[in-house]
Amino acid sequence: MKQTGTFGFVRVARYTEAVEYQKKAESRALRLEQQLETSREQSRGWKAKADQAHEALKQVQKTAAETRQKLERAEARAADLQVLQQRLAESERALTVAREQLMAIEVKLDILEGAANVLDARTRTVLMRRTATERGAPV
Amino acid sequence: MNDAPYLTIVVTGRNDDFGGDFNGRFFRALRFNHAQLAAAGVSHEFVFAEWRPIDGRHYLATLLAREFSDLGASGLRSFVVDPLYHDALSLNPRLAYQEFIAKNVGIRRARGAFVLSTNTDIYFGRGIISRLAERALERGVLYRAARHDLKATIDTTRTDWDVLEDERNCEIVNAIRPPYFTNASGDFLLLDRESCHELRGFNEVYRSAKIHIDGNFCMKAYACGLTLVDIGGVVYHVGRGTLHAQVGLYRGRPGEAPWGDIRWRSDVVYNNPPEWGLGLAPELPLDAHTTFLPFEWNAVGPMVALKRVVLPAVQQGMG
Repeated sequence: MKQTGTFGFVRVARYTEAVEYQKKAESRALRLEQQLETSREQSRGWKAKADQAHEALKQVQKTAAETRQKLERAEARAADLQVLQQRLAESERALTVAREQLMAIEVKLDILEGAANVLDARTRTVLMRRTATERGAPV
Repeated sequence: MNDAPYLTIVVTGRNDDFGGDFNGRFFRALRFNHAQLAAAGVSHEFVFAEWRPIDGRHYLATLLAREFSDLGASGLRSFVVDPLYHDALSLNPRLAYQEFIAKNVGIRRARGAFVLSTNTDIYFGRGIISRLAERALERGVLYRAARHDLKATIDTTRTDWDVLEDERNCEIVNAIRPPYFTNASGDFLLLDRESCHELRGFNEVYRSAKIHIDGNFCMKAYACGLTLVDIGGVVYHVGRGTLHAQVGLYRGRPGEAPWGDIRWRSDVVYNNPPEWGLGLAPELPLDAHTTFLPFEWNAVGPMVALKRVVLPAVQQGMG
């Protein structure tokens, strides 16, 4: 028989069983305490990750906003570029036409110069003959 | 015109020994080409335009008729142009010979279904002859051929296929490329007669130079919507030609060259008057082969016709 503090005597078997139960309970309490601590650790880790993710999200949102602004600027530039390309094509066409017209003008000037020179030579011949006749020299 | 030949070959020259032994070179090439065409069964005529004949010398047309009496009056026709036309049409006293107006005289009077404008010392290659023999040339197509320049030292007294086709004798190949196929184009421009008339021949509006007038014709044809093609055969010329021999002399003073200023803007297209090729000139038969074109002012167009110079990009249409 074993004497207990409160209830007096219990049988040894009952006592051993109670002690065994107490040990298991203490062991279980310890494991639960450890699990609780682990969970707390994990909770702190997840909180840190959540903080990081939140921070990253804010960064991405900021980057997205900047990218959107850049895209809008690029779209505006692309529109400007298209206008410039159209102007360039128009300028090239105008340049081609101007060159061709210049070419035609050069050819026309050649013709006029040739005609003027020929007419000048013919006129001189006639005038020289007339002058020679007037002076009585043999033609 | 039922007896019209399939082909008219238009050439021009005069009895001036241009380039040395001009008549000999002319006669040998003509004899060769006639023999090859006849052997291939290509009905043809030669039209010779003699421009600005030299006073006191026989007409080259007369010598030609004597040399080729076997050709008959329909196989060889010559047109001797009064030298006054040269003076009346001149816009550059340095030009001694208006080669392309002379060719227009011949082209206008050609009777063949197709007209080949070439030069007197050009030999037709085997590929040319076979294309002509096929009689499959198309209307509205300007046919061009590359010219092979043979070494000037080869013996031309006995010219045959072996000599012409021997690669060892070839000095330069004057390649031709689309779209205009210029480069020695004056040596081979083959076109149907109707299109020749619709184009109105070579440029007679710009008469200050004769150089590049042939290439200018290619551009005119292109601007008018004709198809330009390489016929596939080649022509031969012995030596590099007079122009090549003299071009260095005028490199520093191109405006003084006897062919006119090489820098003229030959991209510009022209529109000849309807009386091109001395169409209004009276014709006086001299003998069975030869017709003389006496001078008349009525046959000479205005000295200046600036509206007949048009922009190259303009598609003109024909006529």
